Amino acid sequence: MKPAPFEYAAPPTLDEALAILSENDPDEVKILAGGQSLMPLLNMRLARPELLLDLTRIDELGGISARNGGLSIGALATKRDVEDSALVRERNPLFMESTIMIGHPQIRNRGTVGGSMVQADPAAEYPAVAVALGAELVARGPGGERVIEADDFFITYLTTSLEPGEILTEVRIPDLAAGTGWSIQELARRHGDFAIVGAVAMLRLESGICVDLRVVIFGASDRARRHSEAEALLAGERPSAALFDAAGRAVGQSLEDPTDDVHASAEYRRDLARVLCVRTLTEAVERAEGSGG
Amino acid sequence: MAVDIPKSFEELPTSAPRHIGRGRRRIEDPALLTGRTQFIDDVELPRMLHCAILRSPFAHARITGIDTQEAEALPGVVAIVTGEDALRWSHPAQSSPEGWGTHCLATDAVRYVGEPVAAVAAISRYVAEDAMELITVEYDPLDVVADPAAAMKADSPLVHAGQGTNVMMDRVFTWGEVEQAFEKADCVVSEEFRWNRMGANPTETFGCICEWDPLDLSLTIRGSIQSPSMFGLGRAATFALPSNKVNIISQPHGGSFGGKGGTRGTDVTCLLSRKADGRPVKWIEDRVEYLTAGGSQAWDRYYSASIAVRNDGIVTGLRVALVDDLGATGEAYGAICAAKPLAAFTGPYTIPVAEYDLKLVATNKVPSGPYRGMGPPPHFFVLEQLMDLAARQLGIDPAEFRRKNFIPKDAFPYMIPSGNEYDSGDYEEVLNQALALADYPALRSAQAEARKEGRLVGIGVASAIEPGVFDWNAYAIVGMPGTGVPEGATVSIDIMGFITVRVGFSLEGQGQYTLVSQLVSDYFGTDPEMVRVVYLDTQSAPPSFGPGGSRLGVAITGAVLGACDRIRTKASQVVAGLMQTEPENIVLRDGQFGIPGVPEAQMSVAEVAGTMLARSDLLPPDVDPRPEATHVWTAAGRTPADEEGRAKSYLTAAQAVHVVQVEIDRETGFVEIQRYCLADDCGTRLNPATVEGQTDGSVAQGIGAALLEEYSFDSDGQPQTTTFMDYLMPTVYEVPTVEKVAVVTPSPFTPLGAKGCGEGAIHTTPAAVLCAINDALAPLGQMAREVPAAPKRLWDLIRLAEDTSAEGSRTG
Amino acid sequence: MAGRQIRVNINGTDHQAIVEPRLSLADFLRHELGLTGTHIGCEHGVCGICNVLIDGRSMRSCLLLAVQVDGRSVETVEGLAEGEKLHPIQEAFMDEQGLQCGFCTPGFIMSLKELLDRNPNPSEDEIKDVLGGSICRCTGYAGILRAVQSAVAKMGGGRPSLLD
Repeated sequence: MKPAPFEYAAPPTLDEALAILSENDPDEVKILAGGQSLMPLLNMRLARPELLLDLTRIDELGGISARNGGLSIGALATKRDVEDSALVRERNPLFMESTIMIGHPQIRNRGTVGGSMVQADPAAEYPAVAVALGAELVARGPGGERVIEADDFFITYLTTSLEPGEILTEVRIPDLAAGTGWSIQELARRHGDFAIVGAVAMLRLESGICVDLRVVIFGASDRARRHSEAEALLAGERPSAALFDAAGRAVGQSLEDPTDDVHASAEYRRDLARVLCVRTLTEAVERAEGSGG
Repeated sequence: MAVDIPKSFEELPTSAPRHIGRGRRRIEDPALLTGRTQFIDDVELPRMLHCAILRSPFAHARITGIDTQEAEALPGVVAIVTGEDALRWSHPAQSSPEGWGTHCLATDAVRYVGEPVAAVAAISRYVAEDAMELITVEYDPLDVVADPAAAMKADSPLVHAGQGTNVMMDRVFTWGEVEQAFEKADCVVSEEFRWNRMGANPTETFGCICEWDPLDLSLTIRGSIQSPSMFGLGRAATFALPSNKVNIISQPHGGSFGGKGGTRGTDVTCLLSRKADGRPVKWIEDRVEYLTAGGSQAWDRYYSASIAVRNDGIVTGLRVALVDDLGATGEAYGAICAAKPLAAFTGPYTIPVAEYDLKLVATNKVPSGPYRGMGPPPHFFVLEQLMDLAARQLGIDPAEFRRKNFIPKDAFPYMIPSGNEYDSGDYEEVLNQALALADYPALRSAQAEARKEGRLVGIGVASAIEPGVFDWNAYAIVGMPGTGVPEGATVSIDIMGFITVRVGFSLEGQGQYTLVSQLVSDYFGTDPEMVRVVYLDTQSAPPSFGPGGSRLGVAITGAVLGACDRIRTKASQVVAGLMQTEPENIVLRDGQFGIPGVPEAQMSVAEVAGTMLARSDLLPPDVDPRPEATHVWTAAGRTPADEEGRAKSYLTAAQAVHVVQVEIDRETGFVEIQRYCLADDCGTRLNPATVEGQTDGSVAQGIGAALLEEYSFDSDGQPQTTTFMDYLMPTVYEVPTVEKVAVVTPSPFTPLGAKGCGEGAIHTTPAAVLCAINDALAPLGQMAREVPAAPKRLWDLIRLAEDTSAEGSRTG
Repeated sequence: MAGRQIRVNINGTDHQAIVEPRLSLADFLRHELGLTGTHIGCEHGVCGICNVLIDGRSMRSCLLLAVQVDGRSVETVEGLAEGEKLHPIQEAFMDEQGLQCGFCTPGFIMSLKELLDRNPNPSEDEIKDVLGGSICRCTGYAGILRAVQSAVAKMGGGRPSLLD
């Protein structure tokens, strides 16, 4: 189980990386960040690029900072960087919680925020949280910089709207609005595994009325998706178990083409999506109430 | 020379044992902890090449052409072998049942995904894999049969056209008046069960370095080999070599659990070495190879079983029909797993008659092999679910139901209907201890409360037997010949009094080198640090089988104590000569040879050994001057199997009761193990810490079996679980804390009274966890019949119950 | 695919080597440098047996290329003991039979070293988080959990209530 031969480049700057990318056939290049998903594929020869372009020497792509009511996270920041960041802890506990749910410490020490986004695994936490939070993904390419809404970034299984020749440079995560109640939960066969199904819920309570709802299901189909029909059921209403159940049913019914594999049938996933929708909404409301919202 | 092997600690020549019977630091550990132990992939030999194996992507296909030219031209490639080479230089693998083996490289057709088709030897594994991709194989796909029920039908595709059938064996074994027992029963409980393929997955896969000597026409094979002597005989047969021309060097290995496999890969690697003019060739099986086509896929079973019960709760008969899917060949000895339940067919119970309807079936899947416990774990899963069903039907508490049927402690030695004899036990005491540890009444009342809230909380109480110290006669029904499994050790004391023990098995994890040092140091009154344990290869070692069938702890204890006793006899003659008395007056105690009660007539072991080695001129003329002896221990009284497979086979019968509490998430089907308690009795505990370690590890593997682990295939025989992302090994999060209590009923038949305990808890854990799950599901009128009890399966059952009840309320 | 020169500090010693880009760090350590204490279990990042420390952080050495550690420092199990004196974590594994076959043990030990170097008194959750990233097939983790408790005590931390 050894990789096929490849050329290797590890430029120290983004400009050099972009130049290398433009000089090569994009189909023959694989971009390496933390490698926690790509390296197994290389080892199994399921990916066999001519050139491996390693971004991990580009210091300018690291770092986490505050920016315009949100966080700017360099694409090469590791999950460990996020986990250790007081800024993230303070500004966005949902993003922090989703980080700690990822894999294991040894994976988080190496795996990057940008890598998870670009990998676009439908069962991964970061794309789901990015969709829920309305994150922006910043890419640089031959035509300059482009800002892509998370919902437009994730297309389907392992596919994003990054163009060939583009490199993801930054993920912009809006801060949680004051009083936001949130929840992220997932069901995996083992602790740390990719989720069979996961859910993210966010909302605020204004005078006891649900507003600013976000319900995202991941792991259940080709990509993490918002479920606006469930959100609509709750918007403007007082939270109640009956409404959560209705929202859950709406999620279950609207889930398109659920994944069917050795761990879970499509029908099972559909029902788990319902269950997790209810559970995350319940927890999100509890948090919102706890925050005095 | 009569050899006297102590049957208890009290019989050892020491006032108080200081080492045996205590948990202690293991002598194996410093090297393991610092990375110095040499596993097979750590070994480098001069001019060594590296092997990569090209495997079939089809479950069944004819090979119509192989082109290796391009691969041969790749720089760094030294040799390539295909089925042609296998035909020229080797025989088909031996198998059980006989006649179902094939060559190590496909010669005409491939019969499972992952079957080796060609192999490359190159200067590195990287280059070997590059070359592998340049080999083109043309396949003509054939119809696939991946399901044993389909395989038994008359119109099924044939895995081996020449056999004319896929049924490798079809026999009914009847032990007593079974028909009558079922006719007379007050109640008969029948059910069907499915145990999916799972297996060993040691953290180190298999690996070997094979060296063909073109002048001597001999083979030297180093590898992570669990049973070196048997492995060597197999290779001699495959390559038509005299058995003394095959030397097996077993490296320390990273676990095995019966699932190291590796014979086929070794044979391929031997062919490569021969083709490469005798250069050593290393093959390290990678994890994807292991999961796709390795040696651990065990127990692919469909059961239909019944028990006959009287109204007073006494079980009077057991019927088990098993269809065992052995995969494409019999080479991996999965059939042995179907035979082994004979050694404990009726478990810990007095069930007087039994029947076993056994069908072994070939399909287009990886040949199935052994795994820890060999075959009884699924058998006991079935038996224990039937016991619970019967208890529920009769309204008897499951713990009490078992108590009623236990073999009483005064009935030992006890002959079970399938012919084996249990040595000793106190099953009721083990049950009592387990129930007390768990506070069983409190668990039941908590469960009643939880049920009122609609929660699915269940408690499982299960008991099983661990047959220990295997004998080949247990497997006679699937064609394994012979009786007797020897284990030898050579103990030598050097001129300074330091002791070396030479054995024929390498490190595998169970701490047996430590055990050897404990035995010897208590016997001769020295410290374990002064004892060295040395591994010998098959051309030098005393007769040895090594670990397997829960035997080695007992067997090596017999070998070492026997060798010590032989030295004691010799040394006593020497000391008697020096002290001018008779040898029978000389006693060894606490490291001193001498005349009891005469302080001046004492010599230390070191003095005696020094005298023997340096001053043979002083010794009585007929005494061997070496303070050294070899003893080969073999379980006594084993009987050849009769026509119904009955034999005194496994020497010991350890027993356990596990009490498990689970809660099933009603909405998701996920299971949480909330409490895990067990009591077990494996006789005298030679190293309690090691025994506990075996138990802890075996519970973890049992949890994996019950809830997580499964080799899945699609209907085309394509494996679905070829990475550790999909084959789910338990991590620290999935294994519960295990509360344990020990009961000790020594075996009357073994050295120091120890019983086999290495396979241990996996006999009971899957049964107990499933009993708990089914107890949780009982209020819903549902039952989990399939292992592993994966969430998707339990969710299906819970939905079924809700649909049924919804329907009931609509129509009712 | 020309070889590339790398410089890497391994267990306190500087090494220079010319490596093929595709060579994994695990294979580099094992087969180029003879540091065979780092074992390989799955080569796809799940089992944790090949964990080593890179600049003090534990990572899968099967998911890193040797070229990627150019200029970094690497710690392997061979670097822990000082002569005859075992590292406290190694001592603890020995005391508590935290190993059986020992094949997975170096990976566990290196991850635990990262944890205890940074946090001498970790919580139960923090310990499980680290152990959860490796697979042991022999011990059922009970001995390993005891060993962690013992190592924490040896290294001067408090005692976690892991086995209560």
